Amino acid sequence: MSYEPVLTARIGKIDPASLTDYEAHGGFQALIRAVELGPGRVVALMEEATLLGRGGAAFPAGIKWRAVHQAEGPKFVVANADESEPGTFKDRVLMEGDPYALIEAVILAGFATAADKGFIYVRGEYARAYQRLRHAIARCYEAGYLGRDILGSGFEFHIELRRGAGAYICGEETALFESIEGKRGYPRLKPPFPTQAGLFGRPTLINNVETLINALHIVLRGPAWFNSIGPAHSPGPKLYPLSGRVQRPGLVEAPMGITLRELIEEHGGGVSGSGEFRVALVGGAAGAFLGPDHLNTPLDFRSLASIGAALGSGAVIVFDTSVDMKPILQRIADFFAHESCGKCYPCQLGTMRQRDIIARMVAGQGRPGDLQLLRDIGQTMRDTSICGLGQTASNAILSAFELKLT
Amino acid sequence: MTSPQTLALTPHQEQALQTLLRRYQGGGQSALLPLLHDIQAITGWVDEPTARAVAHTLGIPEIEVHNVLEFYTLFYNRPVGKHVIRVCNDLACMLAGHEAIIRALADHLGVPEQGGTSADGRFTLELHPCLGHCELAPFLMLDEEPMGPVSPDQIPDLLGGVS
Repeated sequence: MSYEPVLTARIGKIDPASLTDYEAHGGFQALIRAVELGPGRVVALMEEATLLGRGGAAFPAGIKWRAVHQAEGPKFVVANADESEPGTFKDRVLMEGDPYALIEAVILAGFATAADKGFIYVRGEYARAYQRLRHAIARCYEAGYLGRDILGSGFEFHIELRRGAGAYICGEETALFESIEGKRGYPRLKPPFPTQAGLFGRPTLINNVETLINALHIVLRGPAWFNSIGPAHSPGPKLYPLSGRVQRPGLVEAPMGITLRELIEEHGGGVSGSGEFRVALVGGAAGAFLGPDHLNTPLDFRSLASIGAALGSGAVIVFDTSVDMKPILQRIADFFAHESCGKCYPCQLGTMRQRDIIARMVAGQGRPGDLQLLRDIGQTMRDTSICGLGQTASNAILSAFELKLT
Repeated sequence: MTSPQTLALTPHQEQALQTLLRRYQGGGQSALLPLLHDIQAITGWVDEPTARAVAHTLGIPEIEVHNVLEFYTLFYNRPVGKHVIRVCNDLACMLAGHEAIIRALADHLGVPEQGGTSADGRFTLELHPCLGHCELAPFLMLDEEPMGPVSPDQIPDLLGGVS
């Protein structure tokens, strides 16, 4: 294993409060380089790198950057830091350990797209990340990285830090816009897409925290470097939040496409509990369970999609053979019933029906046809829900039945 | 239906609240979440008269304030303990034995294991969806302080150390 971490390289080595520490460890070099290159060249680099969105939807970042670059102003950049997918803690670690990197990335994205203002929307529960970002933004204003004429480029840019208030749905990009606008986090119908009409109805570049941090390294090291890491169809460094029944849970940075086995054995120190692997939930509650047959499947977007699963946020929760899976399925069903925003009926009703059916199955009072009912509800939610919440709310549960986990 | 409860603020809190409202005057709907966060940092929760003051301050209909208060789990439109303990109730924490933590907290506070506020009003226990600290399971947040991994025998000290 010769991989040298990039995204997490500074974490634990620098004082997250110190701007000078950040600068001494390569901080703001990407922004300086971007100003030398000019916005058009930065966007071209982002297009040449095959950077698929790290929030979970895997949308090519370069397409978004190009669209907002070409759009008429006023326009915005938004960092989606509303990390709420169960099992996911990668963005939190990035923001707590290296907060200036996110700020630099948002300024860089703003420069490349000629945006007027950036927003960082941090999950409400992430108090420490919020405080560190707030401090770091103030320091960046003092040092001239924010405000007028940044690095002598003539570019003026401002960042407003926002805090969520406890709603999984606000990780959905259009629900997040609604929340910044001071409303309930209800997702909007698409199209129009955020690059056309996003925050306050204006063209908006919205990227996940990990995606934005990757942009810094693409500008510094070039798209060829980025594309050489991992599989050609979904390359780059990847963060894998690893938890559950492993010896060493934690955030793993690895080349995209390491296998589940490598993640658990080499990075996680092996399975804990009984010591015997049973199943892993990949991609959080919106993801799917993978059994022993898939220990050698590469953890990248395409490989997982080809087996009907999804990488999502990259979260991996490991279960050993001693775990009773019934309460786990109940918890997942409860989660979606609680977090459905209620805007569209397929999801509002489907997640509740799913929860009730799982509850009676777990209680040993399942009825003939319950599994088919769950499949029907899942299909309806997938086909007709407005947003990803309802579309994915049955994935994990149906995959558990496929694997006969209960 | 009991009559809606209202905040009992100290003169100091009342003054801080008025200062805050002046600062947000005319801020518009987009300032709603930031203002509610700032208010709750002073008062803990938002009562009916305060919601009305928020609407007036921002120049938005009062219903918009209630819409938001009811939608987001970190906002409270009814009394909440002086300190809020959020125990992660999700998958990684389940695997790490979060039940024992919840039981210990419920026992000490005299509240149900589903959550509730202690009789003296000092603590509210809540079970929370994944708090995003899975490598530190079992995990909880005492107000804004992250804590994990926690064990049940730490609970008395943890609660005793809070003013």
